Amino acid sequence: MSSASELVVGSSRSLLAAKRHRTVRKNSRRIYSAYRDHQQGSSDEEGGDDKEVDSNDPEEMFQNIQYQKEIIANIRSRPWPMRRKLKVLKQAREIVLKYEGQLTRTRGYQTAGADLLKKLYRVLYNIVVTFIPWEVRIKKIESHFGSGVASYFIFLRWLFGINIVLTIMTGSFVVLPELLAGAPFGTTRSKTIPKEHLASAQDLDTIWSLGGYLQYSVLFYGYYGSVRKIGSAGYRLPLAYFLVGMAVFAYSFIILLRKMAKNSRLSLVSASDENFTFCWRVFCAWDYLIGNPEAAECKGAAIVNNIREAIVEEQEKKKDTSLAVLISLRILANILVLLSLAGSIYIIYFVVDRSQKLEQEKPELTLWEKNEVSVVVSLITMIAPSAFELVAQLEMYHPRTSLRFQLARVLVLYLGNLYSLIIALLDKVNSMSSTPHESSSNWTNTSSTISSLSAQVPRISVSEHRNSTMATISTAINFVHNRSSLVIAYNQTIPFEKNARSQQDQCWETYVGQEMLKLSIIDMIFTVASILLIDFIRGLVVRYLSDCCCWDLESKFPEYGEFKIAENVLHLIYNQGMIWMGAFFSPCLPAFNVLKLIGLMYLRSWAVLTCNVPHQQVFRASRSNNFYLAMLLFMLFLCMLPTIFAIVRYRPSEHCGPFSGQEKIYDIISDTVASDFPLWFSKVMSYVTSPVVVLPAVLLLFMLIYYLQAIARSLKFTNNQLRIQLQTERTEDKKKVFQMAAARLQTPEASADKNPDQQESDIPSHEASIHTSSSQQNGSVTNVQSPINHSDSIRTITQSASGADLNEGHVSESVRRPAVIVLPKHQVEPLPNRPRHFIGGQSGSCRSKSCHHMAYNPPSGLSNAIHTDPLYRKTIRSLHPVEAAGIIAAQNYGGRRGPTTRYVIVNEHRPRRKLLCSATRIPRHYLMEEPTEILELYPRNIKHYTPRTNPQHPPRSHTSQQLRKEEEETGKDRKRTSLGKSLRPCSLPDHHQQAHFYIGERLDSFRESQRARNEIQKDDEEEAGKEGVDWGDFNLPSPSQASIKEKVCFHTQRHPVHSPRRQHQSPTRSRHMGSQLKPKLRGQLETHLTESDSASIASSSDQQNSSTDQYIQVIHSKERHLGSDVRQEKVSKKKTKANFDINYTESNDLICSNV
Amino acid sequence: MGNKQTIFTDEQLDAYQDCTFFTRKEILRLHSRYHELAPHLVPMDYTNEPDCKLPLALIVDMPELKENPFRNRIVESFSEDGMGNLSFNEFVDMFSVLSEMAPRELKAIYAFKIYDYNVDNYLCKEDLEKTLNKLTKEELTPEEVELVCEKAIEEADLDGDSKLSYADFENMITRAPDFLSTFHIRI
Repeated sequence: MSSASELVVGSSRSLLAAKRHRTVRKNSRRIYSAYRDHQQGSSDEEGGDDKEVDSNDPEEMFQNIQYQKEIIANIRSRPWPMRRKLKVLKQAREIVLKYEGQLTRTRGYQTAGADLLKKLYRVLYNIVVTFIPWEVRIKKIESHFGSGVASYFIFLRWLFGINIVLTIMTGSFVVLPELLAGAPFGTTRSKTIPKEHLASAQDLDTIWSLGGYLQYSVLFYGYYGSVRKIGSAGYRLPLAYFLVGMAVFAYSFIILLRKMAKNSRLSLVSASDENFTFCWRVFCAWDYLIGNPEAAECKGAAIVNNIREAIVEEQEKKKDTSLAVLISLRILANILVLLSLAGSIYIIYFVVDRSQKLEQEKPELTLWEKNEVSVVVSLITMIAPSAFELVAQLEMYHPRTSLRFQLARVLVLYLGNLYSLIIALLDKVNSMSSTPHESSSNWTNTSSTISSLSAQVPRISVSEHRNSTMATISTAINFVHNRSSLVIAYNQTIPFEKNARSQQDQCWETYVGQEMLKLSIIDMIFTVASILLIDFIRGLVVRYLSDCCCWDLESKFPEYGEFKIAENVLHLIYNQGMIWMGAFFSPCLPAFNVLKLIGLMYLRSWAVLTCNVPHQQVFRASRSNNFYLAMLLFMLFLCMLPTIFAIVRYRPSEHCGPFSGQEKIYDIISDTVASDFPLWFSKVMSYVTSPVVVLPAVLLLFMLIYYLQAIARSLKFTNNQLRIQLQTERTEDKKKVFQMAAARLQTPEASADKNPDQQESDIPSHEASIHTSSSQQNGSVTNVQSPINHSDSIRTITQSASGADLNEGHVSESVRRPAVIVLPKHQVEPLPNRPRHFIGGQSGSCRSKSCHHMAYNPPSGLSNAIHTDPLYRKTIRSLHPVEAAGIIAAQNYGGRRGPTTRYVIVNEHRPRRKLLCSATRIPRHYLMEEPTEILELYPRNIKHYTPRTNPQHPPRSHTSQQLRKEEEETGKDRKRTSLGKSLRPCSLPDHHQQAHFYIGERLDSFRESQRARNEIQKDDEEEAGKEGVDWGDFNLPSPSQASIKEKVCFHTQRHPVHSPRRQHQSPTRSRHMGSQLKPKLRGQLETHLTESDSASIASSSDQQNSSTDQYIQVIHSKERHLGSDVRQEKVSKKKTKANFDINYTESNDLICSNV
Repeated sequence: MGNKQTIFTDEQLDAYQDCTFFTRKEILRLHSRYHELAPHLVPMDYTNEPDCKLPLALIVDMPELKENPFRNRIVESFSEDGMGNLSFNEFVDMFSVLSEMAPRELKAIYAFKIYDYNVDNYLCKEDLEKTLNKLTKEELTPEEVELVCEKAIEEADLDGDSKLSYADFENMITRAPDFLSTFHIRI
C-alpha cells in the first residue's frame, strides 16, 4: 500500500545494497545479506533496485541490465514478500525490456527446456521409485517404529534382491535347460523313482521329508543328467552347473563388498556431521509433506522416539557404575553365554547322534524322529537369543554396545548350529561317498543288470559300511526299509538289493540338499509360528485380557512383543547362510528363499504394525548396517567353506548328478578345457596353473596387498589430518562469529571513538582468522626460528652498540619511532652507563627485532588483538626491563643465547613487548588508520609513551591522575624487573613472569609515595627511551630499594584492586584478555565486561591453538573473569617468590601451547 | 486457457512464475485452491489485483497444513501483518518457498522465521521448547524437553549467547542432511 513511497525513499539505499549484492557472487551469500537487509529495513528497500537503473549513467547501463537480469533470475529465491518481489520484478523487467527486448524470449525458451528436462527427470524418478518393492510398507513402518526397525525390512528387501538374482542365475542356466533340454523324468535311472518307492512317493509323509517325487526333481542335485551336452544347441549342463554354483558365491561376495563399500562411504560422509544431533532432531524432524492424520501420528511417534534415542545416548555418556561389579558381572555374563553356546552345540551333536542311532534301530520312524534334528536346531535358534538378551542385561553396556555384543553372540550361536549340523552331515557324506566308490566300479562294468558275482564284492563293502551309512540317513531310511522289503520280495538276493539301494540313495549331494531345504522349511515354519504365537497371540491376550486381569498386562508382565532388530536381522543372515550352504546341492534353494522372504516380509511387517511395540531404545541402525553386512559376509565365507570343502574333498556320487563318473567335481573344468578347447588353450592353461606361474602370482598378490594396505594407511593418516583441518576450520568459523558478535556488542557499548577502532581491528582479525589454520602453524614455526634470528641480531646489534656510540644506537632506534623527542633524554642518561651499555643495546636491539618479528607473524596471536595492543604494552614493557635486568646480570648473555627455548619465550612476548616499548609503532599503526582517535582510544598508551619518551615534559603536560598512575605503574614494573633481577637474574622465564605479575600489581604502585613516584618517573623515562638499555646500570644500585618498596606496596594495596586490573594479574593465559580490557577500562571501568569478553575471546582463541580451549573460554569467559579475580587475590596474598614460581609454571604452559 | 485469462493476465502469470518456483498451471491451481478456501471472499478475477485476505483459520484448515504442528507459525511468518492473514500473493509465496525447487538458503530463512515464535530474530529457549512441544505433541517430559533444548542450543550456538541467531541456525541447517527433503510441502 505504502510501498510506492517507501520505494522511492529507499531507492538510494537499495542501490547501495544492490551493488553490494552484486559484488557477492554467491547465491547464498546474497540471500543471507538480503535477509539481513530484510530484517533491518525491508520496507525501505522495497523496489529500490529498479529505480537505480534510471538514474544510472549510460556507461553503467550494461551492468545494470546484467544486474536486473540477475534479479529476475534470482528473485524467486529472495526472501521478500511476494508483493515486493512482484514490484521489483516488474521494474527490472521493464528496464531489461527497454534495453534488451530480445533476451527474455530466448531465456524463456531456455527455461522451458530446462523445466521440461527437470520434469522428465522427475517422472523417470517417480517411475523408478514405484518399482522398488514394499517402499510404502517400509515407509509406514519407518514412520511408526523409526529407522531401526525399518532397517530390518530394508535389509530383508536387499536380501530379497540378492536372492532374486541368484534365482535367476540358477533358474536360467541350470534349472530351465535341464527341464527343457535334459532327459525327461523317468528316462534315466537317476530320474526315476525306484519301483519300490513308487507306492509311497506321493505320501504326505514322504513329501514332507522331501523324498518321493520331490527327491527326483530339479530341486536337487541328483536329478541333473551327466550328459556332456544336452539339447540341439549342445548346452553343457554339467559345466554350467558347476560355474553357476561358483558364480552364486562370487556374485554374493561382490554384491556384499560393494554394498559395504558404499555404506562405509556414506557413513564417512555423515560421520563428520555428527555435531548437531539434537538440533536436527528438532528442526529437521518434521516432514512437512505429511498430510494424513495417521501418518502425522506416526511421524510424531517417530520423532518422539528419535529424540528419546538421542537423550538416552546422551545419558549413556554420563552413566557410570562401580568398575569391579561391572567387570565381574560382565565376566559372569560371558561365562553364561559361553556355556549356553557350548550347550547348544552339544545338544545338536547329541540329537544328530541319537537320530543316527534311531535310524539304525527302528524300522519305522515317527514324524518327530525324522525331523528331530531340524526342529531342535530351529528351537535353539529361537530360544537362545532371548537367553542371551537376558544375560546382556547383566552387563550394563551402552545399549549400542550391548546390541553389538548380542549380535555377535547370536551370530556365533547360529554359526555353531550350522557348523555342527554340516559337520554331522559331512560325516555321513564321507561314509556315503566312500562306500559307492568301491561298489560303483563294479556297477559301471555291469551296468544296470547285476551279476551275482560282481554283487558279492560290493555286498561285503556295503555291509561293512552299512551301519554308518544307514545310521546317518534320516530321510532315506524310510525308503530303505520300504524298498528292502520290496526288493527282497522279488529279487531274493540281498546283495543286489543293497547295491541297488545304495546306488540310488547314496547320492549324498541330494541328501545334503534335502537337509538344507528341510532346515530352511522348518525354520520358516518356526518363524511363522513364533510370530503368530509370541507376537500375535500375546498381543491379543494383552490387548483384550488386560481389562479382566489384576495387573496391567500392557505395561507389566507380558506386555506387547518388542521387535528385536538384532535377532531378526541375524535370523535373516542365518537363513541366507543356509541358502548359500545348500545352493550348490539344491539349485532351487534360492527360489525357495525368495518365496520365503516375500512371505516373511508381509508377515513381519504385519506383525510389527499390529502387535509389536517399538523397541524402547531404538538406535540408528543405518550406522550399524555395515555391521550387519559384515556379519553377512562372514556368514557367506563360513557357509562357503563346507561347500567348497565338499566339492574338493569328496568324490561326486556315481550314479546321480551332473558330475557322476568323475573323480572330482571340479574335474569338469579341466575336462572341458582339455576336450572342448583348442590344444593351445589347454597348453596355456597347464602353464598358467603350473607352480612357475602360480607362485609368482601369489607373491605378486601379497605384494599388492601390502602395497594397498600401505596406501590405505597413508590415506587414513591424511584423512585424519584433513579432519583436524576441518575442525580447525570450523573453529575458525566460530571465531569469526565471535568476532562479529564482539563487533556488534561493542558498537552499542563503546563510545563513538571506539567504534572505528573496533572495525579496524575486526578487519585484520578477520584476515588473521582466515589464514589461521595455516598461519598458526607458520607462526609456530617462525617462533621457533625467530629465536635464532634474534640471537644473531642481538649479537650484531650489541656489537654495533658497543662499538659505536650508544647514543647513536639509540638514535637509530628512536628514529624508527616517530617520537624522536625521546632522544635527548636518553642521551643524557646513557652516558654514565656506558660500560654496561652494550647490554642495554642488546635489549634495545631485541626490541627492534621483536618489531620485525611482529611484522612477520601478525597471525601468531597478536593480529587479532592489534587494537588492544596498548594493553599488552604494559606487560611487555615490564618484561622487557626484566630481560634487561637479566642481561645486566650479564653472565646470562651467553647462556641465554644458547638455549633457544628461552628465547622462544622471550619472543612470544616480544611482539607485545615491542608494541609496548616502541611507542611509535603502535601509534603509527593507529595513526594510519584513525589518527584522530588514537589519543582517545589509547589515552593510556600515549601517556605512557609520552612519559617515557619525554620523561619530564610529558608528565607535566598531561598531569592527570591517570597519567601519573600510569607512570607509577610503569615505574613499578621497572622496579619489579629490577627486583626480579636481583632475585633471579638468570632465569628469563621467571623474569618475564615476574614482570607480568608486577604488572598485575600495578595498582599497588598507584599508591606509592610521591618520592617513589619520582623515581619511577625517571625509570619510566629510561624505559621508554631505551627500555632497558640504560636501565640496568641506572637502576642497579636501587633494586633492593625498589623491591622493598614494592613489597610494601603489595601488602598495602592488595585489597583495593579492582577487577580490571586484577585480570592482569591473572596468569598468563588470561593475560591477553586482561590487557585488552585495560584500555577500555581506563575509559569506562565497569561497562566493558561484555565487550572485553568477546574481544578477549577472540584474542585468546588466537593465542591458544586448541579450539576446545577457546570454546570453553568463550562460554565461560565471564566466569573466568571472576576466577581470575580470585586467583589474583590468591596470588597477591602469596609472597613475591611464590608468585614467581606460579607464574613460571604458567609461562611454561604458554610456551608449550605456542611452540 | 480461456479460464486462465479471466483470472490472471499473461503478464501476471509470467511475473508469478518468475517470482516463484511454480509453473503457470500450478499457479492457477493455487488460485483455485485459494478460491476454494473462501469462495465468497475471493474473487475469480485477479486481473486488477483485488485486495483480499484470508484469515489464518481458513488457511490452516487446508489438508496440506492441517497435520503440520507448525501450521500457525508457517502462515503467520508468511503473512505481512504477522497475524496470519494471507493475501493471494503471500499464499503463493508460502507454497513457493515450501516447494521442492526452493533453494536451501531460502528455506532456511523461512524455517528460522517459523521456529522463531516470539519474532525476536533469535531462537531462544522458549522458542525451542515450543517447537519441541508442538513437534512431539507434548509427549516428552519437561525434563526431557529441557535437556533437548539445552543440548540443541549448546550444539548450534556459536557465539555463546545461549540463543540461536540466524547465523547459527543457518550454519546448523545447511549441514542437515534431510532438511531440504522435509521442509517441503507438495501442493
